[in-house]
Amino acid sequence: MNAKTDRGLKPKHQRLVLVIVALVALVGAGLLAAYALRNQASYFYVPADIAASPPAPGQAIRLGGMVENGSITTAADGVTVEFVVQDGVARVPVTYAGIVPALFVEGSGVVAEGSMGADGTFVADNLLAKHDENYMPRELEGMSTAELREELQESVAGAGE
Amino acid sequence: MREALDQWLFVYAAVGVTLVGTLVLVASSLLAMRRAEKRREESRRK
Amino acid sequence: MHGFANPARFLRIAKWLTAPLLVSGLLLSFGAVAWGLTQVPPDRLMGDTVRILFVHVPAAWLGMGGWSAIAIASLMELVWRHPLAAIAARAAAVPGAAFTALCLITGSIWGRPTWGTWWVWDGRLTSMLVLLFLYFGYIALSSSLAREGQSSRIAAIFGLVGAINIPIINRSVVWWNSLHQPPSITMGESSIDPVFLWPLLIATLGFSLLFGGVVLTRMRAILADMQAEARLRRKALQAEDIVR
Repeated sequence: MNAKTDRGLKPKHQRLVLVIVALVALVGAGLLAAYALRNQASYFYVPADIAASPPAPGQAIRLGGMVENGSITTAADGVTVEFVVQDGVARVPVTYAGIVPALFVEGSGVVAEGSMGADGTFVADNLLAKHDENYMPRELEGMSTAELREELQESVAGAGE
Repeated sequence: MREALDQWLFVYAAVGVTLVGTLVLVASSLLAMRRAEKRREESRRK
Repeated sequence: MHGFANPARFLRIAKWLTAPLLVSGLLLSFGAVAWGLTQVPPDRLMGDTVRILFVHVPAAWLGMGGWSAIAIASLMELVWRHPLAAIAARAAAVPGAAFTALCLITGSIWGRPTWGTWWVWDGRLTSMLVLLFLYFGYIALSSSLAREGQSSRIAAIFGLVGAINIPIINRSVVWWNSLHQPPSITMGESSIDPVFLWPLLIATLGFSLLFGGVVLTRMRAILADMQAEARLRRKALQAEDIVR
C-alpha cells in the first residue's frame, strides 16, 4: 500500500480526526442513554426507594437488599419465612412461602419478587439470592489478618519440628 | 424449606461445556486452516 | 506499525507462533481448571459451585476482549488502512462469539444453584446477551462482504460502533442495581482469596493464549484462501490471453 508516500499522509490524519470525532459522539450518546436508563434499568428497588416513594399495594416490583441479621423466622407451617430487608437507610419486612435458595442467609443479599401488602409488609412470590463480590474458603471465614498470620506461623513452626 | 441441589452436577456441566466448546473451536479452526493452505498449494502447482 | 503489513512476513511469524500458543494455552487453561476442580477448597457461601469461576470469568474476559480486538483492528483498518487489520478483525469474531456464548451458558448454570434462577433480565446479563447478538451480526456482515469481494469498511464501522457496549457491560453492575455482583477485581485490588485467585489468573492466561492461537489459525486460513483465489484468477486471465 502507499501509506508511506507523502500523498497518503494527509488523508490518514483526516480519517483519524473523523474517526475520533465519531467515537466521541458515540460514547457521548451511549453515556447519555445509560444515564437516562439509570433508574429504569435497575433490576430492583432498595428499601430506601420504597420509603421515599411507596409503590401502590399489589403493584409487581422487585425489592433488593441485605437480610437483616437475626431477622429470619420460620412460621409454624414450616414453609413461610419472615425476614427484614434493609439497606442501611430503611427496612422492609418481607414474608415468603416457598423453597428458599441455598444462598439465602442472614447478612447476605437477596432480591424478592412480589408486591407490597396493605400493611406495609412485602409479600414475595419468588426469592433470589444475591452473591457478593467476596470469594473466601470456609475455614478462613471470620478470621482477621492477625489471626491468619498466627495460623500461618503455627503451621510453619509445626512443619519445622 | 431450603433448596438442596447437587452442586457438583452444575460444576461438571459448566466445565464440560467449556472444555468441549474450546476443543471444537480449536479443532474447527485448525481444520479450516489446513484445508485453505492445501488449496493454496494446489493453486500454486496447477 | 506496518512492519507486519507484508503478508509473507506475517505468515512466517504466525506459522512459527501458532502451535506454541495453542499448546501452551490448552495446557495452562485445562491444567488450571483441573486444579480448580481438585485442589481448591469450597467457598464459604457458595460451596463447590465456586469452581465454575475458573471457566466463567476467562470466558467473559475473552468475550469482551474479542470485541475490543475487533474494535482496535477496525480502527487500524479505517485510519491507517493496515492490510492485515480487516483479516485480524474477521478472525477474532468467531472465537469471541464462542467465548461470549460460553460465558452466558456457564453463568446460567452457575446462577441456578446460587441465585435460584437460570436467567434474569438485569443489566449485566442483558448487555452480555446484546454482545452475543452483535457478534452474530458482525460475523454475518463481514463474511457476506468477503464472499462478494466487497470492501470490509462497513464491517469495520460496525465493529467500532458496537464497542460502545463493552464499557456498558463493564459498568452495568456499578450503574444499576443488578442481581450479578459488583466486580471482585478493581484496579489492583481483589476481594477474591488467593486460593481462588491464582488458578483464576492462570486459567485466564491460558484461555487468552488459546484465543491468540485460534485467531492466528483463522488469519492463516483467511490469507490462504485469499492467495489461492488471487492465483486462480490470475491463471484464468493468463489462459484467456493465450487463447486470444
